[in-house]
Amino acid sequence: MKKLALLVLALFLPACGVRGKSQESVVRRRLEGEPKTLNPILATMDPEQIVLALLERNLLDYDEKLNLVPGLAEEVSDSPDHLTYTIRLHKDARWEDGTTVTSRDVVFTLTALLDPKTPALTRRALFDGFVKAEAVDARTARVVFSTAAAGRRDAFNLPLLSAAAWAGADVATHPRNRNPLANGPYRLGSWEAGRTLTLVRNTQYFGEKPAPEQVIFRVVPETAPAFAALQAGDLDEMRLIYAQKKELDAKAGMAGAPRVVTFDELAYSYLGWNNRLPVFADRRVRRALTMLVDRESIGRNLYGGLAKLANGPLPPAHWAWDASLTPWPYDPKAAEVLLDEAGFRKGPDGMRRKGNLRLAFTLSLGMGSDVQRQIVELAQQSFRKAGIEMAIQPLEWAAFAAKMDAGELEAWAAALNLDPNPDLAVSWHSAQVPPVGLNAAFYRNHEVDVLLERLKTTFDREETRALLARVQLLIHDDEPVTFLNIPLTKWGVSSRLTNVRTSPYGLFLFWPGAAGWRTSTTTGPIS
Amino acid sequence: MLRFALRRVASAVLTLLGVLALVFGLVTAAPGDAAALAARAGGNRAVAVSPEALAAFRHLYGLDRPVAERFLTWVWRAVRLDFGRSLVDGQPVTLRVARALPTTFALNLAALLLACVIGVPLGVAAARRPAGRLDRISGFLCDALFSTPSFVVGLVLLLVFSGWLRVTPLFADAETGLRGFLLPVVTLALASLAFVARFVRVCVATALADPAALAGRARGEGPSEEIRRALRRSSAPFAAMGAALVPSVVSGSILVERVFSLPGAGGLLAEAVFARDLPTVLALTLLSAVVVVAASLAADLVTAALDPRTVREDVPAAGGVAA
Repeated sequence: MKKLALLVLALFLPACGVRGKSQESVVRRRLEGEPKTLNPILATMDPEQIVLALLERNLLDYDEKLNLVPGLAEEVSDSPDHLTYTIRLHKDARWEDGTTVTSRDVVFTLTALLDPKTPALTRRALFDGFVKAEAVDARTARVVFSTAAAGRRDAFNLPLLSAAAWAGADVATHPRNRNPLANGPYRLGSWEAGRTLTLVRNTQYFGEKPAPEQVIFRVVPETAPAFAALQAGDLDEMRLIYAQKKELDAKAGMAGAPRVVTFDELAYSYLGWNNRLPVFADRRVRRALTMLVDRESIGRNLYGGLAKLANGPLPPAHWAWDASLTPWPYDPKAAEVLLDEAGFRKGPDGMRRKGNLRLAFTLSLGMGSDVQRQIVELAQQSFRKAGIEMAIQPLEWAAFAAKMDAGELEAWAAALNLDPNPDLAVSWHSAQVPPVGLNAAFYRNHEVDVLLERLKTTFDREETRALLARVQLLIHDDEPVTFLNIPLTKWGVSSRLTNVRTSPYGLFLFWPGAAGWRTSTTTGPIS
Repeated sequence: MLRFALRRVASAVLTLLGVLALVFGLVTAAPGDAAALAARAGGNRAVAVSPEALAAFRHLYGLDRPVAERFLTWVWRAVRLDFGRSLVDGQPVTLRVARALPTTFALNLAALLLACVIGVPLGVAAARRPAGRLDRISGFLCDALFSTPSFVVGLVLLLVFSGWLRVTPLFADAETGLRGFLLPVVTLALASLAFVARFVRVCVATALADPAALAGRARGEGPSEEIRRALRRSSAPFAAMGAALVPSVVSGSILVERVFSLPGAGGLLAEAVFARDLPTVLALTLLSAVVVVAASLAADLVTAALDPRTVREDVPAAGGVAA
């Protein structure tokens, strides 16, 4: 019996001391899913981008205010006609094997990216109009386009492939896709499939060396175990849901308790209306729908007061957001008047009709978000009181996305994430309706189309701001979708992490992002 | 007996082909394709996707070829154990499955053994005194376990033992060794234990109520001999129970794997289904189907060996009537 007790003790006791002294310069981070590839031009998912942000610098990086700043490139300049871009690489930029990052790598990357065989799903469209890329000298490359585009500098927020490492095989299936050559502050130490990726400090990195020696990414799909790990010190950061934030708030000030970081992101939630359908064709109906949804109450009760009201297609975190646009108010009475004016009057059964057309539709949502489901149920109750019949159809995410891409949804609930310099034409231009583009609302407004076209070739920032203001106003007036809320992003961060900065692009996808983090024992960067 | 076995093998092969064709058809017909889903980056991003890049993705994985051609090509390659590349990460499917399977296999096998080690004696003990105290308590506990989703059990165990008491690690990996697998094994075992214990209890109780058992008692058989004979008489249903439990050894448990952050076959299958990663779905389906069919075949053969009447058409099996 004694022996058995000792055996049990031997088995369990080490669990109490998982973290030792050597862990002090290690940052332990959570990934909600495993990266599918670490090929930077093929990567699309968040886990991939989060890991790559520490492995690879981009030619130009976004800073925390989302300005493009030098990365691998000291400078990216364009010709007066905006057709030729000259890239001047940093003189000290090196790959982890010590070889220099050269213009040959730039040319190789662009050639691979634009190869018809390469499935670079999200990066390729940024290089529309590409004509050629050529090396001028070892540090200088030139990229020529057939058309000028205002957002083109953003395309150079581009990581590189090492020509020497990636040449000779199809980049889509290259073994390097799981073992990339790094030029950033860390390099890949090991990758235990499905469990952990360990990054170690890249001694060849040309910039300021990061303070922590290692970053260990652990794949933790479920939020409850991740939260337990954050509190136990086995993880140093994770995205929080509201209930978790409240729990951490209650522990604020206690020794060792993780702290909460909140920030605005470039995202908003909305209810989409298929403007092609007769029930949604009249903007008075769409405005009425918006005015029937109590978004302040949603922000207060479902987001714990940590959400702003959305007023249009740009969120407040965007530099050109128009603060002067007042969101449509919650006003059920005024909404009913609008519905009457639009010809949808209440019948004896209390439901609204316009001739034979009932104000009834099905709203679909991708399964997974409890908050979104609750918002939709609240809207349904409010619509019913106003004589509008809305059926709710939860769909598996892939089915939901497919129907949205095909323009088959009548109405839907979703959240939209924007890039730092989003091209609004992708979502709002009438030529971008499904199956070509993302304008699943089938929104059409000639003036908006003209403005969006002008924006593509407007290089002056103030002129761009004015055009974007007009676009926001027009879309706000038309209310093609119900712009709901901009929930604050909530992050739990270990108390031992310092210098954690945020940006509208999140915690990681700007420079220095997580590369600038320090632990309590690694107070300064290594020079 | 040999004819019986050959007939069952032939029908097993047809079953496998049928299952594969059905799964292929279902996944192909389901809305959403792997290329568009990959472009969506797992969410809803307002980013232009190049039609050329989508076409390149579809061409790379043969998604632009006719459905029948894709299925036949897959079967032809599968015969040579080439299951293609995953549409999720471009890795060979064999490699992905080979990475996931050891975790699933080890976990579920250990859980099954633990469930049997506890469940069989518990079931036998409960059967000896039907409606006795042990029977009632074990019945209540088994019903409670049976009706509680295993991911809830897992989450509670994880939060209590790993999060609160800190006696087991939160994550299983090389650093934590076998201790990391303790809670997932217990979670999975608890789910099977309820089934095993109740099944054994019913079988043994039925066998003990059989006239043959009564005759044995009349001959003066002791309790242990009586149980031994009851277990022997229950071997055919036990074989069927084994056939029902064995497939979980390779199919895994999606939710338990998620709760314990374990990269197993269950999670791989769920990811593949949601990403419309047909080659991975088919390979895992084939693997599961082979194990199900093999287990059921083995159960049939064991039953036939124990009770030859089940394979003879002229003699009624136990409880049956000859035509």
